[in-house]
Amino acid sequence: MTALARKKIAKLERLAELAAVHSKEQGESLWREALKRVRRNPSAIVGASILGVFILIAVLGPFLVPYDPGQIGVGIPFGLEVKEGQAIYPGPNSEFWLGLDHQGRDMFSRMIVGARQTLLVGVVATAIGLTLGCLIGGIAGAAYGLGGKRGRTIDNVLMRFIDMLLAMPSLLLAISLVALLRPSLMTVMIAVGFISVPIFARLLRGAMIAQSNAEYVVAATSLGVHKRKIALSHILPNSIAPVLVQATLTLATAIIEAAGLSFLGLGNPDSSQAEWGTMLADGLFNSRFDYAPHLALFPAIGIIITALGFTLLGEAMREALDPKLRK
Amino acid sequence: MRAPRLKTAIAVAAAAALALAAAGCAESGRDPEAPKKDTLVFGVAGDAKVLDPSFASDGESLRVARQIFETLVQPEEGGAKIVPGLATSFTPDSTGLVWTFKLKTGVKFHDGTDFNAEAVCFNFNRWFNYSGLLQSPDVSSYWQDIFGGFAKSEDPKLPPSLFKSCTVKGADTAEIAITSVTSKFPAALALPSFSMSSPKALKDFEADKIGGTAESITYPKYATDSPVGTGAYKFEAWDRANKVIKLTKFDNYHGEKAKIKNLHFKTLTGSAKQSLEAGDIDGYDLVAPADQKALKDAGYNLLPRPAFNILYLAINQSGNPALAKPEVRQAIAHAINKKAIIDSKYPIGSEVAINFQPPTVPGHNPGVTKYDYDPTKAKALLASAGVTGLKLKFHYPTEVTRPYMPAPKDIHEMMVADLKAVGIEVEAIPLKWNPEYLNAVQTGKNHDLHLLGWTGDYGDAYNFIGTFFDRAKDEWGFTNQALFDQFKAADKEPDINKRVELYKALNAELLKFLPGVPIAHGPNALVLGKNVTGVKPSPLTNERYASAEFK
Repeated sequence: MTALARKKIAKLERLAELAAVHSKEQGESLWREALKRVRRNPSAIVGASILGVFILIAVLGPFLVPYDPGQIGVGIPFGLEVKEGQAIYPGPNSEFWLGLDHQGRDMFSRMIVGARQTLLVGVVATAIGLTLGCLIGGIAGAAYGLGGKRGRTIDNVLMRFIDMLLAMPSLLLAISLVALLRPSLMTVMIAVGFISVPIFARLLRGAMIAQSNAEYVVAATSLGVHKRKIALSHILPNSIAPVLVQATLTLATAIIEAAGLSFLGLGNPDSSQAEWGTMLADGLFNSRFDYAPHLALFPAIGIIITALGFTLLGEAMREALDPKLRK
Repeated sequence: MRAPRLKTAIAVAAAAALALAAAGCAESGRDPEAPKKDTLVFGVAGDAKVLDPSFASDGESLRVARQIFETLVQPEEGGAKIVPGLATSFTPDSTGLVWTFKLKTGVKFHDGTDFNAEAVCFNFNRWFNYSGLLQSPDVSSYWQDIFGGFAKSEDPKLPPSLFKSCTVKGADTAEIAITSVTSKFPAALALPSFSMSSPKALKDFEADKIGGTAESITYPKYATDSPVGTGAYKFEAWDRANKVIKLTKFDNYHGEKAKIKNLHFKTLTGSAKQSLEAGDIDGYDLVAPADQKALKDAGYNLLPRPAFNILYLAINQSGNPALAKPEVRQAIAHAINKKAIIDSKYPIGSEVAINFQPPTVPGHNPGVTKYDYDPTKAKALLASAGVTGLKLKFHYPTEVTRPYMPAPKDIHEMMVADLKAVGIEVEAIPLKWNPEYLNAVQTGKNHDLHLLGWTGDYGDAYNFIGTFFDRAKDEWGFTNQALFDQFKAADKEPDINKRVELYKALNAELLKFLPGVPIAHGPNALVLGKNVTGVKPSPLTNERYASAEFK
């Protein structure tokens, strides 16, 4: 196994353990307590505000755009025409705040509708990864914790498979997947979702194993509660917290990875849909960057800020849940 | 320990940057009294494959070959018309099957031997008698394209050879017999692949001793290190470590001698534009459309070539059944705003195509049916054909640009918007150019619309329209025997003037039948340094740098 994978696993195991540690304070749930800490953390507030704005734009996008984002040559009535062969790309101006893109479409409108596409890919991909990962991780964790010898074998098989996926650089895995299937919006979501499967699986399994030694599990077992019931209604709810935290972090990487795939030309082939990664790639094609850096700059800024928002919030939540970092 | 180390690193980087900047200043403050340059360095995008032009089909190899070698006939300077080269005249007999080539006298090869009828026949017989690996389509590609087979074709799929025999009728007269009358002959002899090599050098350097396998060919010494022709420049060395092919002036050249002593072709690794601006090279080819204006404004010699290509929107009549209806094809032609595409995507000097061949080639017909941008008419045509809810698969290539297609994705996007406006839905299918895209649209059957084009090889209309439409092809998915027969008749017409009339009729017929929509002719350009003059751009990329000089 590569050092990279080992490092990743170690990090995940640690996060998983945190869920097992329960607050000693009376009457306050882990979540409420974490939320309180998050609210005091400035980076969490910044992250949350970025995300708030981003989600608002993504949801309300179509109502906010000043021009049809798909209309080619929208600047012509204003005397602003794109002539690529002569390197004429009207930049930001009073009529078109972020200028026109290489097809003469309004850049500002495209940035706005692009947010929706970006969020959609991120959320769906994360949901795919979360579902698949929790399924595998949940089975492995329950089998290991409660299944005895046979359970350990099941766990072993599942986890070696997960380790294999974890050992592969994630973007490379996603590229192979898209190349294998045909590029489409769904393929991108599946590919990006798939690469986060091992993370969720490892995390949930670790948390569940840590829980399976807790007193309440022992108590339930000794009372003769059915093992499936213990796993589903006792262990799982108490193990899901770190997974949800991880999901916000994964959203950030999913957005970057989806943009990366689009950038490499493996994204949604319906290019009339604005997408930040595609816009970035288009802005660099045919040495456009030399003449109109704004074509690449704005989508790049969009991607960076959004990913930053998710990362800030995710990290803050992780810190809040980590007892070793509690003040 | 971390911070100090970082600081050191920054300090080192800053010092290095300063040193570099200082070096840059020193360089730009060059001595104005420096001796006159005697070397023209032309930057090329890739290494030449091979220097024996009969083995070459790639642009970089042929670019070098054009300086070292000459052909019997050649395109006129700056045009596509065929004019005398090493042959001063070429005339067919009454059947059109036997051609007499009168040769220029007093022509010497670089090795001192004479160019004469024997040399001509030696070259033709050499190509005709290629055997073994030399018959691989990678090696003798142009011979197979033009002449078909060999004396003994090893691949049964090769057609019988067009070449029959070459007879020496005196020192300056060669007679070449062909097996059928065709538009290719003698126009295609202007291709640099049919250049005259020195028979002595071919024998001395064992030019036919090819090794390796079809996948990895080892070329003979003649083809890699000792090509000998009659051109204004002779081969000096191929510095493979620095990726430079060095040519030097041939003092006994029969025409006007080269003005610049040395001519180097240097393979570039970085940006060609930056290399030119830095003075590392004196010129490069295929200037990006967006760079053209900037370079011209900065005073460089931008040389746009007359357009010798075509971009078309192909329609596969065996694809969606609606496409077999002429009204639907006409609707597509009317739906597309060609002028908007050319205005926004193509460089200055591009034009809307109305034929499937550029106007520079004889046979272009300005009187064909024209399909102007008219969405209303397109909708009406669709309605009259009874077609509603049409959804078409539209392929386009990714990551490539071609001179005839500067930005495939953008052109595709614009067309999709145009088609949507008249109620045609489109499923976009992007594929990598080679081999996925070309396979899908040329040999695959599951496509409706796609973008493709062609840059001509030689100045005959058949090389355009014949290449596209003279037989049933999966690319177009139709069989129209009357049209194919009409092509055959034109190909067989020995009289060039009559043939041009037949081409005009064919162009009119094609635009009536409308197998696809001609879109654009996009000229490409090469650029030379501010102080380099004397080079005339050729639509066939047939620039010869012997006439170049430093101001």
